[in-house]
Amino acid sequence: MAEAVLEVARLAKRYGASTVFAGVDLVLAPGEFVAVVGESGVGKSTLLNCVAGLDTIDAGSVHVAGSDIHAMAEPAQALFRRQRLGFVFQAFHVLPHLSVGANVGLPLLLQHAPDPARVAAMLAAVGLAGFEARLPQTLSGGQLQRVAIARALVHRPTLILADEPTGNLDPDSADRVLALLAAQVREHGAACLLATHSRAAAARADRAVTLTPAGIVS
Amino acid sequence: MLALLRQLSWPELRHHPWRTAAALVAVMLGVALAYSVHLINASALAEFGAAVRAVNGDADFSIVGPRAGFDETLYARVATATGVAVASPIVEADSVAFDASGERVPLRIVGSDAIVVARLAPALVPRPNAGSERFVSLDPGVVFLNASAEKRLGGGATTLSLQTASGRRDFRIAGSVAAGGPALAVVDIAGAQVALDFVGRLSRIDVRLAPGADRAMTIAALNLPPDVRAAAADEASERMSNISRAYRVNLTVLALVAMFTGAFLVFSILALSVAQRQQQLALLAVLGLSAGQRLRLILAESALVGALGSALGLALGGGLAAVALRLLGGDLGGGYFAGVAPQLHVDALGTFVYGALGIVAALAGGWLPARAAQRIAPAQALKGLGLALGRHSPLAFGVLLLLAGAGLAFVPPIAGLPLAAYASVACLLIGGIACVPGGVGLALAGVREPRRAVPLLAVERARHERAGATIAVAGVVASLALAIALTVMVASFRDAVTRWLDVVLPADLYARTTLGPGGGDIATLPARLPLQATAIAGVVRAEAQRVVALPLDPARPAAALIARTIGDPAANLPLTGSLVAAPVGATPAYVSEAMAALYGAAPGTTLSLPLPDGRRADVFVRGVWRDYARQYGAVVIDRADWRRLSGDERINDLALWLAPGASTAAIETELRRLATASGYDGSLLEFAAPRAIRATSLRIFDRSFAVTYWLQAVAIAIGLFGIAASFSAQVLARRKEFGLLVHLGLTRRQILAVVAVEGALWTAVGAALGLALGIAVSVVLVKVVNPQSFHWTMELLLPWQRLGALCAAVVAAGTMTAFLAARRAVGRQSVLAVKEDW
Repeated sequence: MAEAVLEVARLAKRYGASTVFAGVDLVLAPGEFVAVVGESGVGKSTLLNCVAGLDTIDAGSVHVAGSDIHAMAEPAQALFRRQRLGFVFQAFHVLPHLSVGANVGLPLLLQHAPDPARVAAMLAAVGLAGFEARLPQTLSGGQLQRVAIARALVHRPTLILADEPTGNLDPDSADRVLALLAAQVREHGAACLLATHSRAAAARADRAVTLTPAGIVS
Repeated sequence: MLALLRQLSWPELRHHPWRTAAALVAVMLGVALAYSVHLINASALAEFGAAVRAVNGDADFSIVGPRAGFDETLYARVATATGVAVASPIVEADSVAFDASGERVPLRIVGSDAIVVARLAPALVPRPNAGSERFVSLDPGVVFLNASAEKRLGGGATTLSLQTASGRRDFRIAGSVAAGGPALAVVDIAGAQVALDFVGRLSRIDVRLAPGADRAMTIAALNLPPDVRAAAADEASERMSNISRAYRVNLTVLALVAMFTGAFLVFSILALSVAQRQQQLALLAVLGLSAGQRLRLILAESALVGALGSALGLALGGGLAAVALRLLGGDLGGGYFAGVAPQLHVDALGTFVYGALGIVAALAGGWLPARAAQRIAPAQALKGLGLALGRHSPLAFGVLLLLAGAGLAFVPPIAGLPLAAYASVACLLIGGIACVPGGVGLALAGVREPRRAVPLLAVERARHERAGATIAVAGVVASLALAIALTVMVASFRDAVTRWLDVVLPADLYARTTLGPGGGDIATLPARLPLQATAIAGVVRAEAQRVVALPLDPARPAAALIARTIGDPAANLPLTGSLVAAPVGATPAYVSEAMAALYGAAPGTTLSLPLPDGRRADVFVRGVWRDYARQYGAVVIDRADWRRLSGDERINDLALWLAPGASTAAIETELRRLATASGYDGSLLEFAAPRAIRATSLRIFDRSFAVTYWLQAVAIAIGLFGIAASFSAQVLARRKEFGLLVHLGLTRRQILAVVAVEGALWTAVGAALGLALGIAVSVVLVKVVNPQSFHWTMELLLPWQRLGALCAAVVAAGTMTAFLAARRAVGRQSVLAVKEDW
């Protein structure tokens, strides 16, 4: 059996005296697309941040591709994220002062391995062929989210973390973006953890789990 | 609008208390500085005017003549003339008294008829001490001091030792007078005539007309002699207002510049506030707030900050003025109101004007951010893609302003003030700032897209979001340009004064009678003293100098005539141009720059000089020389020519060249002995070596610029604070960007490096532009403002070390600020900032 891409064991997170969640257990296999659903404020984004090493944990462990991310120092965590993780956000977060091509190629540039051909291929894959020189201000919301997806996958990450990627889109655009995300994740063999409160979005995943303060409910 | 201010703006201002406080403090400081300078000058002028009125009394006009006075027989004719109700004869002069420790104290002596003066100038009526004899005020050996004189000479003194034409003379202090203003002593007119060598002469006659009498007809009927005229009652205070006007206006402009810097800080803070609230404003637009309403909302915020800041500034300015008046009197360093101890005089109009200026400055600062809010494209902004600061001004706008500034520098003075030059400075500053985004765009146009992530992020941000960086860079440009302009101006002036002193102080030792030009006729040295001095062991050469006041225009202070041995004028005078050959038989003269500017005495023209006896003599102007000692003009002619024209053999100063190793102390002792033997009180001789004169002169120079340094420091502080606020706010506004970069795998150190490099680059660009702009402004200050204000010129000196230090300090401050702000911004908060609903 292939090594799990993500192993979360007895993960707990507290803010002061307030417990966000406790006893979260989750395993993602390579190429698996898992949706984490739950009410707003239950801690879905916090869970993703803990998985990415962007937030501290109070108990448990997180292993991504066999590496304990919380045992690393900050520079090593940054390097790990640069090489192994991809992110898609609700608000797109495309840098307005970089062209579409530069935005998509940013992860490769950070690894000192620019690859214009790869960038062009990713843009074509998300239906934005020839958009390299355009500025983000000229794109629609759906197009911006596709740019974000292309950026999240351009460096062939092991794990994609998507936080409410369709939150700012109309139903048709949301549906297309989700389909694209799912297809690209499968094509690249990456695992994807999708945080969403939308049942429709969760239905696109291979499986859906529910996050509660007590942990994951399958 | 009030509801919007309460619901939207007030929470925003409260949520960023330090930013709001910074804007308030900037407006407050600017208003406080400008208002305090206005109050001090206005109070000093009012006090001076009141003092003049107290001395002149309730006269309708005064009959005045040459400084040496006019025949007292005119009094009888005036007192009995038809239409004259009261005629008060006055003898007055500036002299020197000695306090208990022997220190010299400038003192004005006024001799009056105690019975007549009571009807015209009650402030001059003697108030005898309790127990004094009955007619003590008629005793010519008795003086009555005003409060300022009592304070300067030491309270409780009973004897006044006064320097007179014949030496020291003691008077008994018998009481006081109510007149305010500088130190003043009132003595019976007969006593004054004897003490001041005015026997048979008067300085002036103050006249009050009878009810219904016509002023012009009365004066005409007096048939005054040619050298005597009727002067307006407020001529003296008008003259002081005129001569101090350029200094007061320059100081006020400097203070207003501090206010401008404060306005710029308001602009920085509001611009970034609008940028941070872009999505909020876009949402309001979607909900129905029109573009015009958004504009008015931001302007209302500016006005609110301006109103609060102005109110605080007026209070602070009043306090500063009160303290300054107590510590400095009315003299801010220019020396115009020395000896005046004014009370704080607050005028409603001035208070309203400066309060309104603070609001206007804040509104001016808020105008561009308000326009940016007006131009927000809601759809783009809601996506987070709008450039909240809107369009940056085209390069052509900035270039046009720079050209306008250059053109205005060539406009002559308006009403005697360099108003066009001030406008030139404003155009250069604003034009330079407006050129920043376009200039950076031009510079970056040739830069290819970097291949590495960190430079790519910095360069592309600079290329596409210049407007944001412009705010911080503009702060650097504004504060640095002003600092550099003032540094260059003061350095140029100081260097010019130092080199000028080297030329005008060629001798090894100087002796004088301690009185200024006004006292040049009261205390003179024995005529034989120069010849006697050359016989003293160690003295190689001795030259005498005569200084005479030249009243050429009643609206202006008297110019000075300096009669001395000239020799080769090119070597012995600090000439500013070439010499014109004098026609055969003409008396050559050399005028100061002020003389040429005020009286049109250009080389090649003829100048008509009044002589002490009332005649006039024509002299030929051969050249112009630089004079930093006399703002109202000076004429130098050879002493031999002066003696031939006027018959005046008197001398005021002696310049001595000494042999190497000569004993200065022995020479001074021998000169005092020789002067005393000739009938002059040798103890009144004052000696000074060029080094001491130079040190004193430069100390006076530094003091005259003390307020300038203070204003410059405040302007720099506000500017640097603006830089810090701009960079901090910009960095904080980029938290989402930093959060994204953290997600993508940049380390915290890399992100800090991006921001620090950006900060260093932008402030370096700003420093380079500020340096260039500052030098351009300094050229206007040195070559236009100074000559037009004070009628003297100087060479431009660029103190590169100091300028480099200023630039380096600003770059360091900007870089450090950006770095420190980034350290705060790149943390957990930035990671959370990417979450839309955090």
